[in-house]
Amino acid sequence: MFPVRCFSCGAVIGHLYEEYKKKLEEGKTPKEALDELGIERYCCRRMFLTYKSVIKEFARFHGAVG
Amino acid sequence: MKIEILEESDLKVKFILREAPIALANSFRRAMKSLVPTMAVDYVDFYMNTSFLYDEIIAHRIGLIPIKTDLERFNLPEKCSCGGEGCPNCQVSFRLNVEGPKVVYSGDLISDDPEIRPVYDNIPIIELYEGQQLMIEAVARLGTGKEHAKFQPVTVCFYKIIPEIVVKDNCDKCGKCVEVCVRNVLKKENDKIEVGNVLACSMCMECVKNCEENAIEVLETNDYLFTVEGTGALPVKTVMRKALEILRDKAKEMNEIIQTLI
Repeated sequence: MFPVRCFSCGAVIGHLYEEYKKKLEEGKTPKEALDELGIERYCCRRMFLTYKSVIKEFARFHGAVG
Repeated sequence: MKIEILEESDLKVKFILREAPIALANSFRRAMKSLVPTMAVDYVDFYMNTSFLYDEIIAHRIGLIPIKTDLERFNLPEKCSCGGEGCPNCQVSFRLNVEGPKVVYSGDLISDDPEIRPVYDNIPIIELYEGQQLMIEAVARLGTGKEHAKFQPVTVCFYKIIPEIVVKDNCDKCGKCVEVCVRNVLKKENDKIEVGNVLACSMCMECVKNCEENAIEVLETNDYLFTVEGTGALPVKTVMRKALEILRDKAKEMNEIIQTLI
Protein backbone atom coordinates (compact mmCIF):
# COMPACT_ATOMS: atom_id res chain seq x y z
CA MET A 1 0.00 0.00 0.00
CA PHE A 2 1.08 3.56 -0.63
CA PRO A 3 2.77 5.15 2.45
CA VAL A 4 0.66 7.64 4.41
CA ARG A 5 3.66 9.87 5.11
CA CYS A 6 7.04 10.56 3.60
CA PHE A 7 9.65 8.41 5.34
CA SER A 8 12.19 11.21 5.68
CA CYS A 9 10.32 14.43 6.38
CA GLY A 10 6.97 13.14 7.65
CA ALA A 11 4.81 15.24 5.31
CA VAL A 12 1.41 13.71 4.59
CA ILE A 13 1.42 12.40 1.01
CA GLY A 14 -1.15 9.58 1.09
CA HIS A 15 -4.02 11.83 0.03
CA LEU A 16 -2.23 12.82 -3.19
CA TYR A 17 -1.65 9.30 -4.49
CA GLU A 18 -4.99 8.83 -6.29
CA GLU A 19 -4.57 12.20 -8.00
CA TYR A 20 -1.02 11.31 -9.00
CA LYS A 21 -2.19 8.04 -10.51
CA LYS A 22 -4.90 9.85 -12.45
CA LYS A 23 -2.43 12.36 -13.82
CA LEU A 24 -0.17 9.57 -15.03
CA GLU A 25 -3.10 7.91 -16.78
CA GLU A 26 -3.79 11.18 -18.58
CA GLY A 27 -0.35 10.80 -20.11
CA LYS A 28 1.60 13.25 -17.99
CA THR A 29 5.18 12.51 -17.02
CA PRO A 30 5.90 11.89 -13.33
CA LYS A 31 7.77 15.22 -13.19
CA GLU A 32 4.78 17.17 -14.47
CA ALA A 33 2.41 15.32 -12.15
CA LEU A 34 4.55 15.93 -9.06
CA ASP A 35 5.07 19.59 -9.92
CA GLU A 36 1.32 20.09 -10.33
CA LEU A 37 0.65 18.42 -6.99
CA GLY A 38 3.13 20.80 -5.36
CA ILE A 39 5.59 18.25 -4.04
CA GLU A 40 8.86 20.14 -3.78
CA ARG A 41 11.30 18.10 -1.74
CA TYR A 42 13.09 15.16 -3.31
CA CYS A 43 12.40 12.96 -0.28
CA CYS A 44 8.64 13.17 -0.92
CA ARG A 45 9.08 12.91 -4.70
CA ARG A 46 10.95 9.62 -4.45
CA MET A 47 8.07 8.17 -2.41
CA PHE A 48 5.88 8.47 -5.52
CA LEU A 49 8.53 7.56 -8.09
CA THR A 50 9.74 4.38 -6.37
CA TYR A 51 6.41 3.02 -5.19
CA LYS A 52 5.38 -0.51 -6.18
CA SER A 53 2.18 -2.12 -4.98
CA VAL A 54 2.98 -5.44 -3.31
CA ILE A 55 -0.61 -6.10 -2.24
CA LYS A 56 -1.50 -6.62 -5.91
CA GLU A 57 1.11 -9.37 -6.12
CA PHE A 58 -0.45 -11.03 -3.08
CA ALA A 59 -3.87 -10.83 -4.67
CA ARG A 60 -2.73 -13.11 -7.50
CA PHE A 61 -2.57 -15.97 -4.99
CA HIS A 62 -5.92 -15.10 -3.45
CA GLY A 63 -7.66 -18.23 -2.19
CA ALA A 64 -4.44 -20.23 -2.02
CA VAL A 65 -3.23 -18.45 1.12
CA GLY A 66 -6.37 -17.16 2.74
CA MET B 1 11.84 39.66 19.93
CA LYS B 2 9.77 40.36 16.85
CA ILE B 3 8.04 38.14 14.34
CA GLU B 4 7.63 39.14 10.71
CA ILE B 5 5.57 36.85 8.53
CA LEU B 6 6.82 36.57 4.95
CA GLU B 7 4.71 33.86 3.36
CA GLU B 8 1.55 32.25 4.59
CA SER B 9 -0.58 29.48 3.17
CA ASP B 10 -2.75 26.75 4.69
CA LEU B 11 0.09 24.41 5.46
CA LYS B 12 3.23 26.49 5.19
CA VAL B 13 4.41 29.60 7.01
CA LYS B 14 7.72 31.38 6.52
CA PHE B 15 8.66 34.03 9.04
CA ILE B 16 11.58 35.99 10.40
CA LEU B 17 12.29 36.00 14.10
CA ARG B 18 14.23 39.14 14.93
CA GLU B 19 16.44 40.10 17.88
CA ALA B 20 16.28 36.82 19.72
CA PRO B 21 19.11 34.80 21.24
CA ILE B 22 19.85 31.58 19.36
CA ALA B 23 18.88 29.48 22.39
CA LEU B 24 15.39 30.98 22.27
CA ALA B 25 15.08 30.38 18.52
CA ASN B 26 16.04 26.75 19.02
CA SER B 27 13.72 26.22 21.98
CA PHE B 28 10.90 27.74 19.92
CA ARG B 29 11.59 25.25 17.14
CA ARG B 30 11.75 22.35 19.57
CA ALA B 31 8.56 23.44 21.32
CA MET B 32 6.68 23.52 18.00
CA LYS B 33 7.97 20.08 17.08
CA SER B 34 7.69 18.18 20.33
CA LEU B 35 5.59 20.00 22.92
CA VAL B 36 2.40 21.06 21.14
CA PRO B 37 -0.21 18.30 21.52
CA THR B 38 -2.25 16.94 18.62
CA MET B 39 -4.59 14.05 18.14
CA ALA B 40 -3.67 10.71 16.61
CA VAL B 41 -4.94 7.16 16.80
CA ASP B 42 -3.02 5.38 19.51
CA TYR B 43 -4.95 2.21 20.28
CA VAL B 44 -6.72 -0.10 17.83
CA ASP B 45 -8.97 -3.04 18.64
CA PHE B 46 -9.21 -5.64 15.89
CA TYR B 47 -12.42 -7.67 15.90
CA MET B 48 -11.88 -9.13 12.46
CA ASN B 49 -9.06 -8.87 9.97
CA THR B 50 -8.94 -11.24 7.01
CA SER B 51 -7.02 -8.84 4.77
CA PHE B 52 -3.51 -9.36 3.39
CA LEU B 53 -1.88 -6.98 5.87
CA TYR B 54 -1.06 -7.73 9.50
CA ASP B 55 -2.96 -6.01 12.32
CA GLU B 56 0.15 -4.05 13.32
CA ILE B 57 0.69 -2.61 9.84
CA ILE B 58 -2.92 -1.43 9.61
CA ALA B 59 -2.75 0.05 13.12
CA HIS B 60 0.44 1.89 12.20
CA ARG B 61 -1.05 3.28 8.99
CA ILE B 62 -4.15 4.51 10.83
CA GLY B 63 -1.94 6.09 13.48
CA LEU B 64 -0.14 8.22 10.89
CA ILE B 65 -3.35 9.79 9.55
CA PRO B 66 -3.57 13.38 10.84
CA ILE B 67 -6.77 14.14 12.75
CA LYS B 68 -8.33 17.60 13.14
CA THR B 69 -7.69 18.63 16.72
CA ASP B 70 -9.60 20.89 19.08
CA LEU B 71 -7.24 21.79 21.91
CA GLU B 72 -9.93 23.64 23.86
CA ARG B 73 -12.11 20.60 24.26
CA PHE B 74 -9.66 17.83 24.94
CA ASN B 75 -7.16 17.17 27.70
CA LEU B 76 -3.96 15.23 27.65
CA PRO B 77 -4.75 11.80 29.16
CA GLU B 78 -2.31 12.28 32.07
CA LYS B 79 -3.88 15.65 32.93
CA CYS B 80 -7.51 14.54 32.48
CA SER B 81 -9.90 14.20 35.41
CA CYS B 82 -10.37 10.53 34.58
CA GLY B 83 -6.71 9.92 35.41
CA GLY B 84 -5.78 8.51 32.02
CA GLU B 85 -8.41 5.80 31.97
CA GLY B 86 -10.18 7.25 28.96
CA CYS B 87 -13.29 9.42 28.91
CA PRO B 88 -15.05 11.66 26.35
CA ASN B 89 -12.78 14.54 27.44
CA CYS B 90 -9.59 12.86 26.33
CA GLN B 91 -10.55 10.25 23.75
CA VAL B 92 -12.42 9.86 20.48
CA SER B 93 -13.11 6.50 18.95
CA PHE B 94 -13.45 5.64 15.29
CA ARG B 95 -15.24 2.63 13.90
CA LEU B 96 -14.60 0.85 10.64
CA ASN B 97 -16.57 -2.11 9.34
CA VAL B 98 -15.96 -2.88 5.68
CA GLU B 99 -16.05 -5.82 3.34
CA GLY B 100 -14.14 -6.31 0.09
CA PRO B 101 -13.62 -5.85 -2.75
CA LYS B 102 -12.93 -2.21 -1.91
CA VAL B 103 -10.19 0.29 -1.23
CA VAL B 104 -10.63 1.62 2.30
CA TYR B 105 -9.94 5.33 2.67
CA SER B 106 -9.40 7.43 5.79
CA GLY B 107 -12.80 9.03 5.11
CA ASP B 108 -14.47 5.66 5.80
CA LEU B 109 -13.57 5.91 9.49
CA ILE B 110 -16.78 6.72 11.36
CA SER B 111 -16.09 9.08 14.23
CA ASP B 112 -17.99 9.25 17.52
CA ASP B 113 -17.62 13.00 17.41
CA PRO B 114 -18.65 14.69 14.16
CA GLU B 115 -16.11 17.52 14.61
CA ILE B 116 -13.11 15.29 15.15
CA ARG B 117 -12.28 13.59 11.89
CA PRO B 118 -9.30 12.89 9.61
CA VAL B 119 -7.92 15.97 7.86
CA TYR B 120 -7.89 14.20 4.50
CA ASP B 121 -10.63 11.83 3.42
CA ASN B 122 -8.75 10.17 0.59
CA ILE B 123 -5.71 8.54 2.20
CA PRO B 124 -5.78 4.86 1.23
CA ILE B 125 -5.56 2.65 4.33
CA ILE B 126 -5.86 -0.79 2.82
CA GLU B 127 -7.06 -2.57 -0.28
CA LEU B 128 -9.55 -5.38 0.39
CA TYR B 129 -10.22 -8.14 -2.11
CA GLU B 130 -13.18 -10.46 -2.60
CA GLY B 131 -14.38 -11.95 0.69
CA GLN B 132 -12.01 -10.04 2.93
CA GLN B 133 -13.36 -8.20 5.93
CA LEU B 134 -12.05 -5.60 8.32
CA MET B 135 -13.78 -4.70 11.58
CA ILE B 136 -11.92 -2.41 13.91
CA GLU B 137 -12.26 0.25 16.55
CA ALA B 138 -9.53 2.90 16.71
CA VAL B 139 -9.09 5.17 19.70
CA ALA B 140 -7.51 8.59 19.19
CA ARG B 141 -6.09 10.70 21.98
CA LEU B 142 -3.92 13.76 22.48
CA GLY B 143 -0.19 13.30 22.64
CA THR B 144 3.02 15.22 22.02
CA GLY B 145 5.77 14.78 19.45
CA LYS B 146 8.10 13.80 22.29
CA GLU B 147 6.22 10.54 22.59
CA HIS B 148 5.79 9.60 18.95
CA ALA B 149 6.36 11.42 15.65
CA LYS B 150 2.72 10.87 14.64
CA PHE B 151 1.68 13.44 17.28
CA GLN B 152 3.84 16.18 15.77
CA PRO B 153 1.72 19.11 14.54
CA VAL B 154 4.46 20.16 12.11
CA THR B 155 6.39 18.14 9.56
CA VAL B 156 9.17 20.39 8.38
CA CYS B 157 10.25 22.98 10.94
CA PHE B 158 13.65 24.60 10.74
CA TYR B 159 15.43 27.92 10.99
CA LYS B 160 18.62 29.44 9.67
CA ILE B 161 20.56 32.50 10.66
CA ILE B 162 20.13 35.50 8.35
CA PRO B 163 23.71 36.73 8.00
CA GLU B 164 25.03 40.22 7.59
CA ILE B 165 27.38 40.51 4.62
CA VAL B 166 29.87 43.36 4.83
CA VAL B 167 32.01 44.46 1.87
CA LYS B 168 34.89 46.58 3.15
CA ASP B 169 36.54 49.57 1.46
CA ASN B 170 39.68 47.67 0.41
CA CYS B 171 37.62 45.61 -2.08
CA ASP B 172 39.33 45.60 -5.50
CA LYS B 173 36.11 44.72 -7.39
CA CYS B 174 37.62 41.57 -8.91
CA GLY B 175 34.17 39.93 -8.88
CA LYS B 176 35.49 36.56 -7.71
CA CYS B 177 33.03 36.42 -4.82
CA VAL B 178 30.13 36.90 -7.25
CA GLU B 179 31.38 33.97 -9.36
CA VAL B 180 31.75 31.52 -6.47
CA CYS B 181 28.47 32.43 -4.78
CA VAL B 182 26.35 29.32 -5.51
CA ARG B 183 23.14 30.90 -4.28
CA ASN B 184 23.59 34.16 -6.26
CA VAL B 185 23.39 36.33 -3.17
CA LEU B 186 26.11 38.73 -4.32
CA LYS B 187 25.80 40.95 -7.36
CA LYS B 188 28.21 43.22 -9.21
CA GLU B 189 26.51 46.48 -10.03
CA ASN B 190 27.96 49.87 -11.04
CA ASP B 191 31.48 48.59 -10.37
CA LYS B 192 30.52 47.72 -6.80
CA ILE B 193 29.83 44.44 -5.01
CA GLU B 194 26.29 44.52 -3.71
CA VAL B 195 24.27 42.15 -1.58
CA GLY B 196 21.07 40.93 -3.22
CA ASN B 197 18.81 38.48 -1.48
CA VAL B 198 20.36 37.87 1.96
CA LEU B 199 17.64 35.36 2.87
CA ALA B 200 19.07 32.92 0.32
CA CYS B 201 22.57 32.98 1.86
CA SER B 202 23.49 29.67 3.48
CA MET B 203 26.71 31.04 5.05
CA CYS B 204 28.91 28.68 3.05
CA MET B 205 31.75 31.23 3.35
CA GLU B 206 32.97 30.57 -0.20
CA CYS B 207 33.10 34.32 -0.87
CA VAL B 208 35.28 34.85 2.23
CA LYS B 209 37.64 32.00 1.27
CA ASN B 210 38.04 33.23 -2.30
CA CYS B 211 38.59 36.91 -1.52
CA GLU B 212 42.30 37.70 -1.92
CA GLU B 213 42.02 41.11 -0.30
CA ASN B 214 40.08 39.81 2.75
CA ALA B 215 37.54 42.49 2.00
CA ILE B 216 34.35 40.52 2.61
CA GLU B 217 32.91 39.36 5.87
CA VAL B 218 29.85 37.23 6.67
CA LEU B 219 28.63 37.89 10.20
CA GLU B 220 26.11 36.04 12.34
CA THR B 221 23.14 38.07 13.54
CA ASN B 222 20.26 37.50 15.92
CA ASP B 223 17.73 37.18 13.10
CA TYR B 224 16.43 33.83 11.95
CA LEU B 225 14.44 32.67 8.97
CA PHE B 226 11.93 30.01 10.04
CA THR B 227 10.13 27.62 7.71
CA VAL B 228 7.24 25.73 9.26
CA GLU B 229 5.02 23.23 7.48
CA GLY B 230 2.00 21.74 9.21
CA THR B 231 0.23 18.39 8.87
CA GLY B 232 -3.21 20.01 8.85
CA ALA B 233 -4.13 18.78 12.33
CA LEU B 234 -3.73 22.32 13.68
CA PRO B 235 -3.29 25.60 11.77
CA VAL B 236 0.40 26.53 11.73
CA LYS B 237 -0.26 29.86 13.46
CA THR B 238 -2.02 28.08 16.33
CA VAL B 239 0.97 25.80 16.65
CA MET B 240 3.27 28.84 16.92
CA ARG B 241 1.10 30.51 19.53
CA LYS B 242 0.68 27.33 21.56
CA ALA B 243 4.43 26.63 21.46
CA LEU B 244 5.19 30.08 22.84
CA GLU B 245 2.56 29.63 25.58
CA ILE B 246 4.12 26.33 26.59
CA LEU B 247 7.58 27.93 26.65
CA ARG B 248 6.30 30.75 28.84
CA ASP B 249 4.73 28.30 31.29
CA LYS B 250 7.94 26.31 31.42
CA ALA B 251 9.98 29.46 32.11
CA LYS B 252 7.55 30.42 34.89
CA GLU B 253 7.88 27.00 36.47
CA MET B 254 11.67 27.28 36.31
CA ASN B 255 11.49 30.69 37.92
CA GLU B 256 9.44 29.32 40.80
CA ILE B 257 11.93 26.51 41.35
CA ILE B 258 14.78 29.00 41.47
CA GLN B 259 12.81 31.21 43.90
CA THR B 260 12.48 28.37 46.38
CA LEU B 261 16.22 27.67 46.24
CA ILE B 262 17.39 31.20 47.09
